[in-house]
Amino acid sequence: MPGVVQLALFQARRDRVTLPVWILGIALLGFATSNAVVTQFGDEPSQAAILTLAASNPAFLFLRGLPDGTGVGAVVFFQGYAFTAVLAGLMSTFLVVRHTRTDEELGRAELLGSVPLPRAASLAATLLLGAAANLLLAVFVTAGYVAAGLPVPGAAGAGAAVGAVGVFFVGVAAVVAQVLPSGRSANGAAAGLVGAAYLIRGVGDALGTPAGDLLHVSSAWPSLLSPIGWGQRSRPFTSLDLLPVLALLAVALILGAAAVLIRQRRDVGASLLPQRDGRERAGVGGTSFVGLAWRLQRSTLAGWCVGAAALGAVAGALGPLVSETVSSVAPLKDLISRLVPGGQAGLIDVFITALLGVAGVFAAAAGIQAVLRMRAEEAEGRAELLLAAPVTRARWLGANVFIAAVSAVVVSGTAGTAAAIGLGLSGTANGPAGSVVPAALAHVPAALVFLAAASVVFAAAPRLSVPLGWGMLAAGLVLGEFGELFGLPVWLQDLSPFRHSSAMPVESFDQAGALGLAVVAAALAGLAAYCIQRRDLTA
Amino acid sequence: MNATTQPIIETLGLVKDFGRTRALDGLHLSVAAGEIHGFLGPNGAGKSTTLKILLGLIRPTAGTVRVFGVDPWADPVSTHRDIAYVPGDVSLWPNLSGGEVIDLLTGLRGGADADLRRELIEEFEFDPRKKARTYSKGNRQKVALIAAFARPARLYLLDEPSAGLDPVMDAVFRRQIERVGRDGATVLLCSHILSEVEQLCDRVTIIRSGTAVETGTLGELRHLKRTHFRVTGLADPARLAALPGTHGISIDGANAEFDADAADLGAVLAGIGEPGISGLTVAPPSLESLFLRHYSDRSDSGVQ
Repeated sequence: MPGVVQLALFQARRDRVTLPVWILGIALLGFATSNAVVTQFGDEPSQAAILTLAASNPAFLFLRGLPDGTGVGAVVFFQGYAFTAVLAGLMSTFLVVRHTRTDEELGRAELLGSVPLPRAASLAATLLLGAAANLLLAVFVTAGYVAAGLPVPGAAGAGAAVGAVGVFFVGVAAVVAQVLPSGRSANGAAAGLVGAAYLIRGVGDALGTPAGDLLHVSSAWPSLLSPIGWGQRSRPFTSLDLLPVLALLAVALILGAAAVLIRQRRDVGASLLPQRDGRERAGVGGTSFVGLAWRLQRSTLAGWCVGAAALGAVAGALGPLVSETVSSVAPLKDLISRLVPGGQAGLIDVFITALLGVAGVFAAAAGIQAVLRMRAEEAEGRAELLLAAPVTRARWLGANVFIAAVSAVVVSGTAGTAAAIGLGLSGTANGPAGSVVPAALAHVPAALVFLAAASVVFAAAPRLSVPLGWGMLAAGLVLGEFGELFGLPVWLQDLSPFRHSSAMPVESFDQAGALGLAVVAAALAGLAAYCIQRRDLTA
Repeated sequence: MNATTQPIIETLGLVKDFGRTRALDGLHLSVAAGEIHGFLGPNGAGKSTTLKILLGLIRPTAGTVRVFGVDPWADPVSTHRDIAYVPGDVSLWPNLSGGEVIDLLTGLRGGADADLRRELIEEFEFDPRKKARTYSKGNRQKVALIAAFARPARLYLLDEPSAGLDPVMDAVFRRQIERVGRDGATVLLCSHILSEVEQLCDRVTIIRSGTAVETGTLGELRHLKRTHFRVTGLADPARLAALPGTHGISIDGANAEFDADAADLGAVLAGIGEPGISGLTVAPPSLESLFLRHYSDRSDSGVQ
């Protein structure tokens, strides 16, 4: 046991920058959200207004969560909990995979395997670190809420809910790391499960039943399948219930124990799903930069497409259903006919538009990931092998940016197609089935700007490209999703490319905006191609 | 005509700074066509940095560099057409098989010679179907070596290419160097393995702290170095210190050991040629002693 603690401290030292950034970042988001709610929805009438609006809009419920009565704390929890929980989940899965499967894959685990400790000691240390990190996260999230003026018991309950979701995913990732053979596949699968938890909760919440006063919504059964849905049930600011939190911790404990058992019974480096042999010769396109870029991107892209397809399907299949549910509540029906032009049909559009907007973020993320892969290639010494061949760096960059752009189109297209199929299956006669594919593709230009901007950062400041590349997307998201809530100036909000995408089918297609974004993206890509020729290859 | 007299690699006063660290400090390096040139130096001396500059992957802070008479930074594509490169730390794409990586790397240079590729895979006893993630260091090294040798090149830049190879595979590697040498290719071989350098290289450059400290053929370098003497039965061993060109004298009873400069060998032999001596061992200067002198700080400051 002292050995396990020592290993955990060693792992914590390796994470001494990463973990504080995650924890403080999440806590800060919580603080900023509560601060914004306090200033903008300080009095009860405005709180009631936002809750009613949300209850009448399933897209809102899908993305954010369940309204749970007035009161600053309740509004904050409704607005921010789901996002915070996703971040806690991602922090936890990345943490676990980094110290388990990735270490094994890179041979570091072998070095530690020679010390006189049980085989699963390192995994146990990682579980300990994960639990400690989420405890800290719970404390800091609580502190952030309290600092913004929320009541202490509620803030502590909310912090505990977020931390418990994190601990749950520590257990999930520990098992995934035993099953999959590589760090990348384990990271992808574990993060995918976090996404699935958010999505399933979204489905349950969007199908939820609004109460008569429109200030509360109770979720439908799918939310019970999601750990994020469980955490939401703790209702910290209205009637705090610690049972869901304890349930999350209990399942995490079982998952962690299972992972330890598997680890004790398997060889170092082995996995339940074994590594298969590959081809003996390169396939078609296997000797070109474009072919290589595609080869490296395709499994990642498949992951994003699954997410986009799930979103699209939810949008298409659920849109009509939720609008019916909502319309069956009499007071809501009046509200909708006043708020949403076009009434019930318009409501479907609003729902689909919101979800396709999220699919647009997926498209940008898939593209950014493809672009930033160049940085990994460079830092890990593989770019050196490639660029010793008689080909220009601009061609290498061009091939990767091209595959990134293709990824953005494919992800958006997948979301749109899935939405169209969903709408078709749900039998909406006058629905916007024909227009959802173009509506999804309308987000491609903004995604192109993001990935082209990431390529400029990579070409000009390689060491900063990963934090800046993802940071730009995060900034774009915050400006787009939270900009109005935070009351940021319009010009600042307008910096986000997402603001210039056409929110179809609610809005009509804005040709000038799309063209402008495309031109900016092309100019950025050209700048990147220029810069990449003029710098040293940097490890 | 010009092509044969012009060096394949020529650097003059090459300087490279990484932030405040100076990796190269006025390096002169000249490698003639058809030469197998050993490039030696302690860890961190600047060998890999030099290779990256020769490939135009990084730009020198100062100085000039010419490969095939061309500045590789200004025109990397045309120089790379005739270069095969094996980096010091071979990192591969974990989800690609070894065979796919070989085809990718040779394909970017215009395609492998099919027979060569097959022979190399056989000789290196390499399984091209395994994913790169599962390869050991030696197997990753084989991927880079097979990719480098599977297509004829005019210049081979090899950064400690036999690291991680077992002795049998090392012999295969040496045969490949000899083969490309016979075909008239030029090789710049970074290495720590002295037997490899003695067997393969025509000329050697030793680099230390970013500067070339010795360059020449092995014969020339040996000539500059000291011969090791071990003498038994000298009447007055202390007298050795008075002889010209003797260094590092150690006396243990009747035995005396010392090193003598090549230029003073005659005087030293005359000096120890007395009737009482009962044993004499003379060891030629080894490449190893030469390196040790340049690799370690102490002997450096003590002798210069």
